[in-house]
Amino acid sequence: MTDESRQNLLNRIRIREDLELFTGGALSRHANVDDLISRVAALERSQQDFVYEWCELIARSNNELAAHFISLAPRAFSKMEREGVQNWLDESITTFDNRGLGSAIEVLESVDAYAVTYAERHMRCGFDEASVFLRHFVRGLGGREMRIASDGETFTDTESLYLPDAVDLFPVPEQNFTLYKLTAAHLWAQTWYGTWRYQVVEKLMRHFDAETTLPIFNRLESIRLEACIARDLPGLAREIADYRDDDVSTSALWDAWRERAVELLGEDASAEDSLRLAAEFEGMELPPLQPYHGDMYANKVRDALFARIEREKADFQRAMNELNTSEEGQPAGEGDEAQKQMVEIEMTEDDGGDGSDVSFQISIDGELVNVPEHLRELMGSIIQDFGEIPDEHMDPSELGQYSDELLAQAGEAESDSDFDPDAKGTFVYHEWDCVRQRFRDDFCTLRETTVPAGDESFIDETLEKHRGILKSIKKTFEAVLGESRLQRRQSDGDDIDLDALIEAYTDLAQGREMSEYVYTRYRNQERNIAVMFMVDMSGSTLGWVNDAERESLVLLCEALEMLGDRYAIYGFSGRTNKRCEAYHIKEFSESYTSEVRQRISGIRPKAYTRMGVAIRHLGQLLHRTHARTKLLITLSDGRPEDYGGYKGKYGIEDTRHALLELKQSGVHAFCITIDNEAQEYLPHMYGTANYAVIDEVQKLPYKVADIYRRLTT
Amino acid sequence: MTIEAIRTEQTSITEEPYYEAIRDELEVFAAAYRNQLPVLLKGPTGCGKTRFIEYMAWYLKRPMVTVACHDDLTASDLIGRYLIRGGETVWVDGPLTSSVRNGSICYLDEIVEARKDTSVVIHPLCDDRRLLPIEKLGELIAAPPEFCLAISYNPGYQSVLKDLKQSTRQRFVALEFDYPVAATEQVIIEKESGVNADMARQLVKFGAMTRNLKGSGLDEGASTRLLVNAGKLMGEDIAPVVATDSAIAQALTDDGDMLKAIHELSRSIF
Repeated sequence: MTDESRQNLLNRIRIREDLELFTGGALSRHANVDDLISRVAALERSQQDFVYEWCELIARSNNELAAHFISLAPRAFSKMEREGVQNWLDESITTFDNRGLGSAIEVLESVDAYAVTYAERHMRCGFDEASVFLRHFVRGLGGREMRIASDGETFTDTESLYLPDAVDLFPVPEQNFTLYKLTAAHLWAQTWYGTWRYQVVEKLMRHFDAETTLPIFNRLESIRLEACIARDLPGLAREIADYRDDDVSTSALWDAWRERAVELLGEDASAEDSLRLAAEFEGMELPPLQPYHGDMYANKVRDALFARIEREKADFQRAMNELNTSEEGQPAGEGDEAQKQMVEIEMTEDDGGDGSDVSFQISIDGELVNVPEHLRELMGSIIQDFGEIPDEHMDPSELGQYSDELLAQAGEAESDSDFDPDAKGTFVYHEWDCVRQRFRDDFCTLRETTVPAGDESFIDETLEKHRGILKSIKKTFEAVLGESRLQRRQSDGDDIDLDALIEAYTDLAQGREMSEYVYTRYRNQERNIAVMFMVDMSGSTLGWVNDAERESLVLLCEALEMLGDRYAIYGFSGRTNKRCEAYHIKEFSESYTSEVRQRISGIRPKAYTRMGVAIRHLGQLLHRTHARTKLLITLSDGRPEDYGGYKGKYGIEDTRHALLELKQSGVHAFCITIDNEAQEYLPHMYGTANYAVIDEVQKLPYKVADIYRRLTT
Repeated sequence: MTIEAIRTEQTSITEEPYYEAIRDELEVFAAAYRNQLPVLLKGPTGCGKTRFIEYMAWYLKRPMVTVACHDDLTASDLIGRYLIRGGETVWVDGPLTSSVRNGSICYLDEIVEARKDTSVVIHPLCDDRRLLPIEKLGELIAAPPEFCLAISYNPGYQSVLKDLKQSTRQRFVALEFDYPVAATEQVIIEKESGVNADMARQLVKFGAMTRNLKGSGLDEGASTRLLVNAGKLMGEDIAPVVATDSAIAQALTDDGDMLKAIHELSRSIF
């Protein structure tokens, strides 16, 4: 007998003795004990320890159950990881406690079925778990912002990446997660490396039979995209290689395709090459798609692509027009002169790679201009679709489309039920006219009214609904409040301020009067902040936005009451310059009473968004309060807009002007918006650092409080 | 706990610090210096503002005093104060005063962090008077032509309590800094951290990815400084993904999903 087998035998004898002992002999009643013992002996050391430990514990309740556990443990370990085995055992013990030995043994014996359901529950990677990560990941990879959505099918329409509800191909959750990531990355690669460029989609729809071509195109593109990824993202390429189907015939087929389509592996290859080659590959056996591959739906791509092209073209022309205007320092549209500028766009490739990593320089009449962030993103997106900025986007005949609207502004807004400017509670304000570059004096009439009381139960419901959030908001605000700091040069305090004392002593030595302020003291910093919340009550807030606004205010008031900051809340809306309205919800001097709560609940969407006059009026109110820091926070859902030409550039410029006036009087302005296109105009109106865009309405209540905390600490 | 508490370094920079010009900031600064105008450096953290000042100090051959401002920094921390020595009172100059006396470059880093009263003392220094009043001494020091005041400021902060007042900012020649373009940034990373061109290019690419995330979950993308730090770790044979995780991802955020995303982005590249 060799040493090794002797050791084995000894092991087995020892294990048998131990387990017999634990189970009080119950084990020996089982059939095939020898066989079982060898299987336990074959387990890993940590698994054996697990079996020993639990065997001893279970045997304290019931020997028979312990014996059954031993007999099935090796099988359980062959099916599940340790965590799964633990769960299986836990369930059995619970069943024993509740329903007795028979049922508990049944649970143990159904180990195979248990392993299957456990795998389904725990090994798969669900969309909800992965979606936030995937959004960040894809955003980081680059290109236009992609929505991540789950759908029965896996594909992209170039606006969204549609992914499966869950991935459960592998027994290990990490692998399923990686597969999710690779699937998203592969779809992203289609949008980044030009699979769905305009030219390609058009050719595909016009000259090819989508039914037969798309599957071939999909495979050829996969070959090309994987070569692109290997060049740019070698780490990702390695992972992709690991996740390929390693079936011999499948890989042979892919290799054959790759060999025949070798030109797609080059740096210069484009989707058009794949499309051209597709004809040659017709009739060949299709290699099966890899696990991370998605499908292709040309129709869906076309719909999304064409809609986007139109939208972005208009946006681009508007942005270029604005750029022109601001460069010239005078409005466009005063005639044809302003439109005859030479606009040149020069692109420089950063990477020499695929043409996607480009930076832009725009020059107008030979002079370089700064490209604003939103325009940069817009151009990036257009280039993703075309590979360049098409000439027709630059067509000057379409520039300056706003000029008509601007000219239409001239005093058409008279109407019957205008507010009487002399009535009580009515105020008159000027407005900035960017076309004429001067103020229109006493142009806007604003009336202050009170929001009718609403149902107070809304407040309780909100507090109930957001209980968790409120708790965390309060906690962070408490931290702000509790932030104690050392105050120097106090007349009394906990400790001596050495600096001050020395100074006082030197004064004394010089024969001057000695200061009494020589102590330090820890004290909460006194907050001296007055904040005005300006709530958009325009018609467009109807529905979710209105609810989210009201909920935000409720949470905010709770938090502000704790902080002790002085705050006021006003809503604003209006229809034409003669009928602007500010809705009083809470004044600075008012406390957070039941009436205020009812008013918050009573906030309802009204008419339009004439922002400038509202800012001027509320700025006045803010001006009358005394505080070291004054803040005007706007909650809004879109750009300024009102009847009578108050839109586009005119509205934005007036609002910007009102904000500048505010700033000059020492008030800080900040805007919180849920308008996804806000990037285009908010930086211009509020300044690059003074706004926040919230991408999901539901998050508004939490975000508003969080932003407020960040702003004021 | 008085003067030592401020980080004051009056240094003469003898070796040429490494600096890559982004635009015409060297010429503008030199011109402002010749015309005795103070300079305001704007820009996000880690884009090379401090390095630029060091370079200019070397270039103009002036000693330099750096004061890292913090929220307890008062005017007397800058100007100086009386101390007692052997029963006598002795005046000790603060960094700003000694800098004015010596005609060096005084650099107040992150000025908005300092207490509001500091701006009062720098105001008369920043206009054409170029005077530093020292109330305690009853002295008014005129700054020599060699003296230069430079301050830095990060406009990306969203706190209303940390904003630079118009009356202050309108006294300065402002230079805007931003992260350099990819090619320049690659050269900077190569030179600063010693990694090869290939690795530097990948770091730049990784930096761009994190900057894509700015506004969608990250407050700031990775600064050039962080990229250089990661490069330095790689130079010590730390695996690239570990280096970017520790030098960049963890420095940028605490959010679990975001950390994971940055980690995976790093793995995609390296």
